[in-house]
Amino acid sequence: MGEQQQMQPDLSFVKGVMASGGETVKKCYQCATCSVVCPLSTNDSPFPRKEMLWTQWGLAGRVSGDVDVWLCHQCGDCTKHCPRDARPGDVLAAIRINAIRYYANPKALADVFNSPGGVVGAVIAAAVLVLIVAAVWSQITGNAFPFPLNHEGKVEYHEFLSVIPIDAMVLPIVAWIIYVSYNGVSRFWNDISKGAGLPESFTGTYPKPSIGLLLSKYLGPAVMEILSHSRFKKCGQTAERARGHLLLLWSFIILFAVTNYVFIAEDLFHAALGLISKVTPLPLYHPVKLAANVGGIMLIAGILMVKSMRTQKTEEGVLTSAAPDWVLIWLIFAVGATGIGAEVLRLINIAPIAYPVYILHLATIIVLFLSLPYGKFGHLIYRTTAYVFQRWADDVKAGKAGFGLEKAVGAAH
Amino acid sequence: MAKIGVYIYTGDGIAEAVDVEGLIKVATKSGAAVAKSHADLYSPEGVAMVKQDIEAEGLTAISLVGMSPRYEYKTFDFPGVYLDKTGIRELVAWSHRIDPSDEKADSKKEHVQELAEDYIRMAVTKLQKVQMPTPDKLEAPNTRILVIGGGVTGMTAALEAAEAGYEVTIVERTGELGGYGMQVRKQIPVGPDYSSLVNPVAPSLIEKIKSNSKITVKTETEIARIYGAPGKYRVSLKAAGTKSEWDAPVPLTPEEKLDANGKELSAEDQKKVYAAKNEGRNDYMVEDANGELFGAVILAAGWKPAIPADGEYPHLAWGNPNVLTNHQFEQLAKSGKLKRPSDGKEIKTVAFVQSPGGLNDDADFPYASAVTTMVSLKQAKYVREDYPEDGKAYVLYQHMRTPGQYEYFYKGLQDDAGIFLSKGAVTAVKDNGAGGLTVTVEKTLLGDNIALDVDVVVLATGMLPATKDEAVVNLAYRQGPAFRDLDLFGGYCDSNFICFPYETRRTGIYAAGPVRRTMTIEESMEDAAGAALKAIQAVKAAEEGHAVHPRTWDFDYPDFYFQRCTQCKRCTEECPFGALDDDEKGTPKPNPTRCRRCGTCMGACPERIIGFKDYNIDVVGSMIKSIEVPDDDEDKLRMVIFACENDAYPALDMAAAKGLGWSPLPRIIPVRCLGSVNVAWIKDAMSSGLDGVLLLGCKFGDDYQCHFVKGSELADRRMANVAETIKSLGMEPERVKLAQIAIDEYDKVPGVIDAFVEEIVGMGPNPFKGF
Ligand code: HEM
Ligand code: SF4
Ligand code: SF4
Ligand code: SF4
Ligand code: SF4
Repeated sequence: MGEQQQMQPDLSFVKGVMASGGETVKKCYQCATCSVVCPLSTNDSPFPRKEMLWTQWGLAGRVSGDVDVWLCHQCGDCTKHCPRDARPGDVLAAIRINAIRYYANPKALADVFNSPGGVVGAVIAAAVLVLIVAAVWSQITGNAFPFPLNHEGKVEYHEFLSVIPIDAMVLPIVAWIIYVSYNGVSRFWNDISKGAGLPESFTGTYPKPSIGLLLSKYLGPAVMEILSHSRFKKCGQTAERARGHLLLLWSFIILFAVTNYVFIAEDLFHAALGLISKVTPLPLYHPVKLAANVGGIMLIAGILMVKSMRTQKTEEGVLTSAAPDWVLIWLIFAVGATGIGAEVLRLINIAPIAYPVYILHLATIIVLFLSLPYGKFGHLIYRTTAYVFQRWADDVKAGKAGFGLEKAVGAAH
Repeated sequence: MAKIGVYIYTGDGIAEAVDVEGLIKVATKSGAAVAKSHADLYSPEGVAMVKQDIEAEGLTAISLVGMSPRYEYKTFDFPGVYLDKTGIRELVAWSHRIDPSDEKADSKKEHVQELAEDYIRMAVTKLQKVQMPTPDKLEAPNTRILVIGGGVTGMTAALEAAEAGYEVTIVERTGELGGYGMQVRKQIPVGPDYSSLVNPVAPSLIEKIKSNSKITVKTETEIARIYGAPGKYRVSLKAAGTKSEWDAPVPLTPEEKLDANGKELSAEDQKKVYAAKNEGRNDYMVEDANGELFGAVILAAGWKPAIPADGEYPHLAWGNPNVLTNHQFEQLAKSGKLKRPSDGKEIKTVAFVQSPGGLNDDADFPYASAVTTMVSLKQAKYVREDYPEDGKAYVLYQHMRTPGQYEYFYKGLQDDAGIFLSKGAVTAVKDNGAGGLTVTVEKTLLGDNIALDVDVVVLATGMLPATKDEAVVNLAYRQGPAFRDLDLFGGYCDSNFICFPYETRRTGIYAAGPVRRTMTIEESMEDAAGAALKAIQAVKAAEEGHAVHPRTWDFDYPDFYFQRCTQCKRCTEECPFGALDDDEKGTPKPNPTRCRRCGTCMGACPERIIGFKDYNIDVVGSMIKSIEVPDDDEDKLRMVIFACENDAYPALDMAAAKGLGWSPLPRIIPVRCLGSVNVAWIKDAMSSGLDGVLLLGCKFGDDYQCHFVKGSELADRRMANVAETIKSLGMEPERVKLAQIAIDEYDKVPGVIDAFVEEIVGMGPNPFKGF
């Protein structure tokens, strides 16, 4: 008799996947058509057949150790061809939502950020927070509250909240996001290392590439692949979806850069160090402002494309959409719409509407980023990690990663 | 003396293949009063022509020479006129096409013409010999139907028969109707959408039975004996579990007929042993005047759960109180929420084991089937019903058998989050020390060997047919109280699966439900309806005096010339349907309504005293002798082929229709069954100078296809004896051969014939030719 494994099928895991969009998982009868048609599956580790079986059997441990779950792009080729209507593409999507929850802390926030009601509540809460901070800030600056106008009698958001209170509010949140995300990603890394059969190091942890190697050899190429969406474009049934996503991704990069420019120029050089004079609001012809506007329009265009593709593909039946999918899409849309809205309203100077919209813009941004380790937005970090890990694990298995690990590889299997 | 009309069809290529005028001459010369041809014989004009001749010439027998006799033309049924058909279209025109450019076309044509002429001779000769069959109607046959077994099958059969207007009596051994159908918590669905369990249907059937005035129910009752024949069964009933003087006697087994040294006992001694064996029972020929009369019987005795013996399946921990059979688990489920037998703890995890063989054998439990597979799925659902939060059921199988619509059942249950399915070999079940069990499964779908901790293990043990260990029907027949082939069918009540599923080898007794193969309740109900119709047909046939399936048109029955009977008992022993008993003097006693007109008795009788009015030793013998045998032409050897009309003959028809052909030397005579071929015909053939005899019959053996069960097998045995005789005459025994042909082997049959002909040609002419 070979090695024998005690099985403790976890019924709640099966039910959880079934309840979050994977209700078809039990229909699978293991024909493996899906793994054959999947354009992204690899010969060494074909998916998604095995994930279907493991989920049916409630083997939460195996599923969480399976990086393939995150290499799947829900393109739906498998779903289209499954003879049993087991919809493996959707099951994997449900598994991912469950995985994000599994790595989240506290888990209750995952439920908040994946449900429409929760997100609306979170946005309201964030708006209230912004209002409170602004009210306090107005006491310090002596500016009018809640609709301050500048000396020209114009709407100027800086009068309402300058970078200092914004930072005071956002930086702790960012710190929290980084902390929870890092925690999640490192547990994820351990799980997938174990699942991939990588050897433990003598300290009982799984090997990681050094920062230098990570950046140069693994993260770099992974990011390049993401930026070009070369993998996403391999999808058969839903390859068109990659276009909207690409636009969206680039818009985020642009907007991220713009925000950082403002942060560095305004907060650091102007406010903190006093090296330069006040930079915001930027004039409309300023290249950074131009970039910001282009980014904003790309974001709106991208998210609308994403939304219409998802609607179309859902109607075609190649994928199903669960609440977390729509929550993310609408949240991003809200960020874009309130951003553009705030800018336009500021320019036409209608204070009673401009400020509430601005407040909503800040609130939706906070909620979107806060959802990173909790909601579907988390795919950004887990997918990127998965891309990195796939390259890393290949090297470890091929004995190319150093660390003297070559011999131990394969011993665990 | 018959006045014969011969009508030759000339369409469909017949006129091109043969010289029709020549055939008409042969017919007239052979003795036909009228011989004509018609290009559209089977049309209303053709019928009118024949009818006119019958009226004008007073014809008493007509022969339609053209299409195969397998095509029915009711329009030619003229009262009082014997109708016969010869298929020269298939046997001559289509199977002996000649390419006009063939060098030897002329000589071939001659062969074909001679072949057709012989068929005409045989046709006329047959009509000269046959008599018009007369029906043997029972006087006032009884039409009540007896149903043995009051489960779902029996109740359904009773309701169906009652609905068709027949009086029914249900005999049930236990105190209640309902059978196993009342012992289940839920049952496998009986109709769409098939995806989930349904409540038992038995209670509603019981209600219907109770309110049906045509149905009488006798509980706690058993059959002591069934005496008689369809239309006039006399049934002695008794209280269940008791002995009765009317219990059917059991004949001696072959071993019991031997003495201590293995020598056969004398007839006297056999009688003594028999008397001792059946002490206290009336002879099988004695009729119980108090017995109830019935016309037909439906056997719906069902099944018993198999229970492994003590010490069996040690690797599955059989004997541990928490290792149950599916039947025991059903009882547990029926009695309430699932609780563990050993300590009353809730049963939240269960492993259902389908196949006990571990790594060595992937077979399921004995007498398991698709039904037991589905029962495991059903019972898995019980676990989920009782413990929806955390109940888990593992179904471990080597075969997931959910045929037909039941695939939906499988799909429906598979959808349940708490039902875990995997193929795999269960290699060990062990006490886990915590009150439960650990199940080890190897070669699973999950790719490794796994161990599962469970509260109980359920073994998917089989369903034993009621006929496995007892006769149940208790027939007072000479061939014994039970069905004949129980060994062959593993104890399942016999049935000709391929052709007539409800038929048993006892005419008038129809089996339905799990007594003949494992079935779900849905299948059993369908089966019951079929058997009810069969029983009604049997009653009707007795009333009208014709045979039951497969020769339903046949009003004839075998005639015995008992003055010359030597009481050899071959007919009684070999009748596949137990139609013949003994009378007081030991001569065969026919029971025409039990008879299916197969002719096996006729084939068996060494005295040649059994025959039918239109099918007997003389009729066929004369047909053989009417074949013209050229005694000086080595190219014109002659053979006769006896082709079973159920399978081999249709195969020949099909071969011809598909354009296949065979040698023109043999002449084909359709026979009812190879079992009806009497050795006398072989002798007739050889003595009239024919060079060989080929018997084409159904497959025999375990998977027999013979309509009359044993016919081709018996013929094979008889031919072995013939071979001896032929050898003693100084001839090659290979001149007589038997080949097995299935109905769909039309592509093979020409090859079989040609190979035989070639062999005979190799041997040369029959040395007795011309004598
Ligand atoms: C700022 C960064 C990102 C944003 C705003 C973003 C946004 C989104 C949105 C809105 C969707 C839903 C698309 C749809 O419904 O069709 C989506 C899907 C997807 N994203 Fe991203 N994404 C980001 C980064 C990434 C990264 C880094 C990856 C890495 C490969 C990635 C891979 C995917 C994939 C494969 C899908 C399709 C599968 C699914 O809908 O779950 N995304 N993303
Ligand atoms: S194609 Fe469908 S049924 Fe087949 S293995 Fe994949 S999910 Fe299962
Ligand atoms: S959804 Fe696409 S990527 Fe994911 S498993 Fe199916 S075919 Fe592969
Ligand atoms: S014809 Fe057949 S069924 Fe009838 S008595 Fe003879 S052997 Fe039996
Ligand atoms: S086979 Fe012929 S001779 Fe023998 S018992 Fe039957 S009828 Fe009589």
